[in-house]
Amino acid sequence: MADPLLIFDALLGVALIALAIAVLVVRDRFAMIVLFIIFGLMTALAWVRLSAPDVALAEAAIGTGLAGALMLKTLHHIRAAPAAPVPVSVGVVFANMGFCAMVFVGLAIAFMATSLEAPGLAPQVAQNIDASGVAHPVTAVLLNFRAYDTLMEVVVLLAAIIAVWMIERGIEQAPARHLGEIYRGFARLALPAIVVIGTYLLWVGAYAPGGAFQGGAALAAVGLLLLLSGLYRPQPAHRPIARLGFVLGIAVFASVALLVASGGRLPFEYPPAHAKTLILLIEGVVTISIAVTLAALFHGREPEAIPVSETRA
Amino acid sequence: MTDLPRIDWPTLVVFMPLMGAMLAFVCPRQAAGLGLVAVLSTAAAVAALVLEVLAQGAVVTRLGNWGAPLGIDLRADGLSTLLLAMTAGVGIFVSLGALDSYAPMRADARTRRYFWPLWLLLLTGLNGAFLSTDIFNLYVMLEVIALAAVGLTVLSGRREAVRAGLEYMYASILGALLFLMGVGFVYLELGRLDFAGLIAAEPAPALTAAVALMIAGLLLKSALFPLHFWLPGAHANATAPASALLSGLVVKVSLYIFLRLTQYMPLPDELLVTLMGALGAAAILWGGIQALRAERLKLLVAWSTVVQIGLIFVAFARAGQLGLVESWKAAALLILAHAVAKAAMFLAAGRIKDEVGHDRIRDLDRSHIRPTLAQFTFALSAISLIGLPPSLGFAGKWMLMEGAMAAGYWHWIAVTMIGTLLSVAYFSRVLAGFLRFDRLRTPVGEHQGWALADAAPLILALSALGLGLAAAPILAFMEIGYPFGTTP
Repeated sequence: MADPLLIFDALLGVALIALAIAVLVVRDRFAMIVLFIIFGLMTALAWVRLSAPDVALAEAAIGTGLAGALMLKTLHHIRAAPAAPVPVSVGVVFANMGFCAMVFVGLAIAFMATSLEAPGLAPQVAQNIDASGVAHPVTAVLLNFRAYDTLMEVVVLLAAIIAVWMIERGIEQAPARHLGEIYRGFARLALPAIVVIGTYLLWVGAYAPGGAFQGGAALAAVGLLLLLSGLYRPQPAHRPIARLGFVLGIAVFASVALLVASGGRLPFEYPPAHAKTLILLIEGVVTISIAVTLAALFHGREPEAIPVSETRA
Repeated sequence: MTDLPRIDWPTLVVFMPLMGAMLAFVCPRQAAGLGLVAVLSTAAAVAALVLEVLAQGAVVTRLGNWGAPLGIDLRADGLSTLLLAMTAGVGIFVSLGALDSYAPMRADARTRRYFWPLWLLLLTGLNGAFLSTDIFNLYVMLEVIALAAVGLTVLSGRREAVRAGLEYMYASILGALLFLMGVGFVYLELGRLDFAGLIAAEPAPALTAAVALMIAGLLLKSALFPLHFWLPGAHANATAPASALLSGLVVKVSLYIFLRLTQYMPLPDELLVTLMGALGAAAILWGGIQALRAERLKLLVAWSTVVQIGLIFVAFARAGQLGLVESWKAAALLILAHAVAKAAMFLAAGRIKDEVGHDRIRDLDRSHIRPTLAQFTFALSAISLIGLPPSLGFAGKWMLMEGAMAAGYWHWIAVTMIGTLLSVAYFSRVLAGFLRFDRLRTPVGEHQGWALADAAPLILALSALGLGLAAAPILAFMEIGYPFGTTP
């Protein structure tokens, strides 16, 4: 008697491959993006089936939701550009296919030859989790054991937004046709709900799947809604606040990491009695920074004085 | 923080530029001043770290006091500290050069403001990578470096720069993803990610796959022929201080990680080492030919980076697998030599372009304006890149050939010689233009001598020349903490 979930898994696997092929084959760019978003959601499902709900949440929120929004926005900007792809000769295609197949086979052989029994770091994490200040192992790793990595991941986001604010100047003022309206009534209903969801994701991270990146992505959706519904329009005067918002998370995170290093402690060594408080503080500010940065990435440019032609009554 | 029993220099070396980057970003009007202060204080922290390493050997910081493999350790041994010092030294002078290059009359306000946070974030990533002992942490640092470097590439905002930057970003991210996939295979096999785990590991299929993936990613990031396609465009189209940072420092990170991994992983068999050397040789030839054909000064300098990266890989392979215990030092010396000389050369090329108004090589001898000191600087750094005594480049090449001779690998000596001749040829194209000053008989322009802005590249070029005399102490210093991985 086959396990019904096994059938589900098999179908999911087939669907993933089929969607991946479809994304590559389909000609229309809008369809391509929509298929990619579906692909991302299916991937999130696959992560759930692999018992990795944290990764699933991140995949759904960032890899699919936010990345999808970014791609749709980009499509809006390049809509005027010709869609016809540069023709590639069949020989190149086959050479590429052959090469990739070789790499794939090599990696598959290496993978099959490896026993999957290696315990990894899970036992050590379980052993030290009581000292970490939180009960959820993924949060313990991200915010305590390997907090340095997490800090630097937030730094990557900061570098990204600075680079985006830089680059945009090179492009002449885009002929930004209006991106389509979101009904404000809907925005008013949805916004409070998203805020609650984002905050919940952040809070629940201490003992269950969730955390700063997922919560931040959910809260970034608030920013997207505000931007799309026109309830908020970025002004040049808001730049200093935006800058503060981008760096807030890193500033607090790095300061905590350094300031705990007194009285014989090392950097990132939170005093056990305050570990939970400090981790929540860090997660809270990092969530804010991630949300602001992701929303700003979606907006895609440093707010400048807006040309009269673009302002709408 | 004076009440601390011991100031933790490795942490400060990473966090100082990070704090500086945030301050410079939040206060854009004071960006230059804040940035300079951050660069200088980081350099001071590096100097303190150098003294500490000299006094007591490798320095280890267990972040969070968990200890690897659960936590992440920072480790500063001779090689790491040497590269930190190289980054700090080059960084100071490129920053000084940037003060002039992005002066109000030359660059718009945005370039001036955003250069500093991007450069300080880059410095954070570079320092973090040199101190890292954990391959996932290295991946994160590579990401920080990649995004900051792309930002610096497109600093000028010109269309070609943006296009080259996009290409660079694709290459860079593909390289990082390949590296990350390798990290995944390492974790699959070993269940840990720290260097100590790698050293203890037995050879296994998963580790072979990991090495293949990580090296492929690193080669793409270090632009070894034939994966160099993104480099000339990106480095030639960036503004001069950005080019100096990209060419002098950024490509060195992946080379450094490559050197480390080859010491730690149960890898290199003879065939792989020879393959690296062969690709290096191809880079020397192809890059040399392209440099001979280049029409723009900065493009020529960028192609010379391709050549020098090839040379570093030849140095790595100079004595085959058995020679690896020594060859990494020749490679590291060449890394250092190239960083200092190339930063000087890009800054000088930028000065020449600023003064003359263009950088077409064939018209360099037809200009009213002769920035003689910048031209002199260019020539000095060319001496180090060609490898004439007493420069650091000479010391590196000498070590390369000595090792190859001892091992009887004459083909590497032949390659190095051909590369040297090619570099004499392509740099002569530029230098000849500097010398033939009788082509244009008009009154000489206002800036015919020098400007204060020439000081930074000149000092760098002089150090590239003079450090060759200090090659022996440098070599002794980089061996502190070797063999790697034995705990300090």
